[in-house]
Amino acid sequence: MTGASNRMQVWLAPLLVFTVTIALWEGLVLLFKPPVFLLPPPSLIWQSFTSQFGQLMSYGFNTFLEALGGFVIGCGAGLVAATVVARSPRLSALLLPFAVASNAVPIVAMAPIAIVWFGIGPGSKVAIVAVMCFFPTLVSAVRGLTDISPDALALMHSYAASDWQTFTKVRAPNSLPFVFNAFKICTAVSMIGAIVAEFFGGAVNYLGIYIKTQASILKTPDAWAAILVACFFGLAFYFAVVLLERWLMPWHRRRG
Amino acid sequence: MTDNVSLDNTLIAAPPAVTPRWLWLLGGYLLIFLLVAVIWESSKALFAIPDYKLPHLTQIAEAFVRPTPKGPVWLILLQDASYTALEALVGFSLGSLTGFAIAVLLQRYVRLRQGFLPYVIASQTVPIIAIAPMIVVGMGRMGAPPWLSKSIIAAYLTFFPVVINVLRGLESVDRDALLLMRSYAATDNQIFRLLRLPTSLPYLFTALKISATASVVGAIIGELPVGSTRGIGVQIVVGSQYNTFNPGFLWATIIAAAMLGLLAYGAVALAEKRIVRWKREA
Repeated sequence: MTGASNRMQVWLAPLLVFTVTIALWEGLVLLFKPPVFLLPPPSLIWQSFTSQFGQLMSYGFNTFLEALGGFVIGCGAGLVAATVVARSPRLSALLLPFAVASNAVPIVAMAPIAIVWFGIGPGSKVAIVAVMCFFPTLVSAVRGLTDISPDALALMHSYAASDWQTFTKVRAPNSLPFVFNAFKICTAVSMIGAIVAEFFGGAVNYLGIYIKTQASILKTPDAWAAILVACFFGLAFYFAVVLLERWLMPWHRRRG
Repeated sequence: MTDNVSLDNTLIAAPPAVTPRWLWLLGGYLLIFLLVAVIWESSKALFAIPDYKLPHLTQIAEAFVRPTPKGPVWLILLQDASYTALEALVGFSLGSLTGFAIAVLLQRYVRLRQGFLPYVIASQTVPIIAIAPMIVVGMGRMGAPPWLSKSIIAAYLTFFPVVINVLRGLESVDRDALLLMRSYAATDNQIFRLLRLPTSLPYLFTALKISATASVVGAIIGELPVGSTRGIGVQIVVGSQYNTFNPGFLWATIIAAAMLGLLAYGAVALAEKRIVRWKREA
């Protein structure tokens, strides 16, 4: 990827696709006039977005805070658990299959139980997001802490390094790329978890509940506008973590 | 590590006296389940946690076998879970087929890839599942069969991971193998069939394993809006409504949903083992 023309194409092509899609969408809706609740034209979604921008952003921020809270608790607990589990190969062999299998379990389905435990408010959403973030972080961090080149360990051993020194100088840095991969996955997971957990019930000033209510009273443009906001927060969260990764690991650049 | 040492000693003797790995794991699992059960019941007793928050394990078991006019609860849950499984399966097949086809197209045409790939990738960081209520409500109003909207949700949740992973797989062919094919004057089609397709299969299955669960989640979420009558998602909602009167049932429905997710994942993992024999994932 060198040369100005090539770099411009990288931006131009997606922009073109975006413009054509929006134009086609608007045009086809004008032409065939499907009911607005089924497929509103982009112009109407935009109108709904701009007219209640402040409200939508505050709903989005509320939901984002749930996602962030769950992310911090879940990923933090995952990291702590990983440092414990990674110390014993037996323990990780025993526990990791559970952690991997938990990926196959629809954790959001447990939202009703979370509501019973932590109330209908943000607490239950934070709990669901935390559980959803815990397992990917645990699995990745254990992999990163144990997937060490034997030479590096032998070298540390030859220097009579303590366990703690090996951990801080070799294991922890080695695990960073793995951990950040998990973090990036968890940003998406946490926004999804928060919104979907809200589908099970909650106060009205959150994105998930707003989307569900507006959809059920057939105010589809409002719901689409709320999804725009959800996308914005999802992307912002993701790129915040990417920036953090670049800052913490300048030596490691993600491969395209 | 200690296992290896004891192996050396027993090499001469005919039956190796080492405990097989699976037995050791099984024992570990049993221990974990026992431990969970003990912690569950003792914390319930210790902190006086009410039944509606944490039912007795026996209450959950009893909720499964309780008879109803339409048969025992486990049978009803099985029927609803199968209904959800069908919705998910239709969407999963639809999503993975179109996802695969789109990935092949994007691999062939660089221009298309430049235009569309950023959106496919961005879709992974964006909560697309939020569209679910609109699809269900909108299609319900249009008079579409109730399962269709759930299948569509499952399909689009399956679609994006499949596109990304298959594209990555099709692109990650061995340089030398590609040059070799080219030097034999192999056509694009031959390169695709003999080289790119086999290379992409492990990547495809990685995506399918993610999607199998995602499609189940999608179908369940699709069953949440008012108006749905069948499926495990409906049972979960019912369970949460009657939780105070009938503690145990909510847990039973969620266990059923968890089993469904595990089963979907397991089915794909099994298919992978059968089909992708030449390469095991790390």
